[in-house]
Amino acid sequence: MTGMVRPVRKIVIVGGGTAGWLTAGIIAAKHRSRMSAGFSVTVVESPTTPIIGVGEGTWPTLRGTLARIGVSETEFLRSCDVAFKQGARFARWTTGTEDDAYYHPLMVPQAFSQINLVPHWLAKNNGRSFCDSVCPQGRVCDDGLAPKTITTAEFDAVANYAYHLDAVKFAAFLREHCCEKLGVQHVLADVRCTNLREDGDISSVDTEQAGDIEGDLFIDCTGFKALLIGDALGVPFKECGDVLFCDTALAAQLPYPNQMHPIASMTIATAQSSGWIWDIGLPTRRGIGYVFSKRHISEDKAERELRAYLGPNGRNLSVRKINIRSGHRETFWKRNCVAVGLAAGFLEPLEASAIVLIELSAKLIAQQMPVCREVMDIVAARFNAATLYRWGRIIDFLKLHYVLTKRRDTAFWRDNVLPETIPVRLQELLLLWRHQPPWFHDEFDRVEEVFPAASYQYVLYGMGFRTAIEPAALAGDAKAAERAMRETVVHSERLCAGLPRHRDLIRRISEQGLQPV
Amino acid sequence: MQFERITNLELLQPEKHRHLCLGPVQDLTAHFVPIVVSEFAAAAATCPILLTKAAATGEFYAGALFGLKPGESWLENFIDRGGFTPLNVQREGFFITGEHIAIDRNSLRFSETEGELLFDAADQPSTPLRQIQRVLGQLQAGVEATSAFIRALLNLKLIEPIDITLRFDGGERLRLESLYTVSLDGIRDLDDASTLSLFRSGHLQLAHIMNASLKQIPILAQLRNRLLMATP
Repeated sequence: MTGMVRPVRKIVIVGGGTAGWLTAGIIAAKHRSRMSAGFSVTVVESPTTPIIGVGEGTWPTLRGTLARIGVSETEFLRSCDVAFKQGARFARWTTGTEDDAYYHPLMVPQAFSQINLVPHWLAKNNGRSFCDSVCPQGRVCDDGLAPKTITTAEFDAVANYAYHLDAVKFAAFLREHCCEKLGVQHVLADVRCTNLREDGDISSVDTEQAGDIEGDLFIDCTGFKALLIGDALGVPFKECGDVLFCDTALAAQLPYPNQMHPIASMTIATAQSSGWIWDIGLPTRRGIGYVFSKRHISEDKAERELRAYLGPNGRNLSVRKINIRSGHRETFWKRNCVAVGLAAGFLEPLEASAIVLIELSAKLIAQQMPVCREVMDIVAARFNAATLYRWGRIIDFLKLHYVLTKRRDTAFWRDNVLPETIPVRLQELLLLWRHQPPWFHDEFDRVEEVFPAASYQYVLYGMGFRTAIEPAALAGDAKAAERAMRETVVHSERLCAGLPRHRDLIRRISEQGLQPV
Repeated sequence: MQFERITNLELLQPEKHRHLCLGPVQDLTAHFVPIVVSEFAAAAATCPILLTKAAATGEFYAGALFGLKPGESWLENFIDRGGFTPLNVQREGFFITGEHIAIDRNSLRFSETEGELLFDAADQPSTPLRQIQRVLGQLQAGVEATSAFIRALLNLKLIEPIDITLRFDGGERLRLESLYTVSLDGIRDLDDASTLSLFRSGHLQLAHIMNASLKQIPILAQLRNRLLMATP
């Protein structure tokens, strides 16, 4: 094959926000050394369009991501009103009663790679929950404790953790880091239109304030608008409202009664009549929102349920409405444009999957950055296959929370268990799991699964799912299982005695900072 | 069971403490004693020098290791041999508060009978007290210099954790945790400007002293091993 090779050197990211700046940082950090030879990363950010600014839950992957792009955890914690997240607490999802709750923690079950504790727990648990039997993190969260101490190094954990953060401050923080430390260029301009070449590639974006901006690879981080992938390149959107019903969110920010008030160590997701309420505790205030289905409840009624949750302190709070279109692009990378973030798709934030998807997508782009246009379509196909797989798995996992409910009190919950609303792959998995509990080598064998097998265990057995057990099959591992569950108890006691209160640690970090090593 | 005394701080004043005598250092049981950079050279001749984090704040500080686990200390043995006595040991019973010196009246170093008087006939500091004043002064200056040294190391990413596992005859296995030292690889990778700055500030020399002192660890282990084997 002869002909000029068209090098890919100019990366143009359209859109700021978490998606734009995290992607810029991940790519720039990986390709820093190429910048002297002409490689560039430019973020074109609108000075007028606001970012969505509500994405506040993250996964432990963000620790590694931030460390790899050279961020100091101390500075991040101080600048972005960050609190530690050790998992999620799902309240009222199974039976709907006041005391109905379970944890999906971030630590994997004890001895997870050596033994599957599920059948042993099912056989004998003395009324102790699955989470408490295999992992100390539920107890740590119950006691309002932090996942590390002031002597733990930056990004290191005593108990595995992720973050709750202020989305607006996070975007600003990342912007500063990218521009000052990673050589990312920043253009403040509104995109007027996208110019296409004959072959369908984007040649440039035309902006109000900065004229034409050319690029070799364009990354669409324009959010729900999807200016490039949707508008310019016409990639259709695949809705999944038939599986996940929620289509609206009402969001508010609730201040604490005082500065010393405890901060929750996990995301709290409380099921309601026609959806669920998220409750994310930052040091400065709680982010609270009702994610619901307009088909099942009116906006007025939903607001009333939200205000009931907010309580008297929330009486005068304003509530912001966000329309949600559940689903994702049919394809994510078309020609020389790839969508990351909300432009790629959106699902209700039940398991904080949005930001981790941004990380995984940006990492894939950075690691497999096509050197020239000639190989871009090959990398794009890989990206599309991996990303489509990931969206499918997230939809399955979120639906799992609904499918396992025993609630039949409203149409919302009744409709959620109708077979036609359950993806076939999930139906098959549920049948499999009725006989064999999920573990490592189940379906979750890709190198970078969004949700590992352990997550499925916590949700299934937190919601009372029963897997048939063969007592004879347990005999071989019985001693190891007993030891593992005993160790969990010891580990729990040690952590609960040794870890500081969450609020105290946040304050101390704000004063002293964490050591880098 | 150790009986815990309560500290009873009093500002040192001749009016109050005219009759007080200073006895020898009482507590030689510490196995890890904080030291300052002016002591590094002397310390390195007999002890490993390591960094660790203060439990309350997470801040790094330097210390000399006199034993391999709490409750085991060869501090007394080392001092007897004419070895290094840390400033923090010499100052036992004395504290600096603002511009003044305070004493822990409950410390067993102070009595009306044992040792030398703290003040002379003219209510002036006696020789032993003047020596303590010098020690406290050296410590105060030293703490700041040590913080500056550690800050310089952190800025250049030269601090690394050290993993020490020791095996003894008799099967015992000891793991020393939460300890840090200077990375020689990190120093070798420094650019010229940073290297020169580290040298001019005296920090490069201190880093090498710390590194050399690591050779004291197997010596300490040997000493412990012999003592363990000797005990019936």
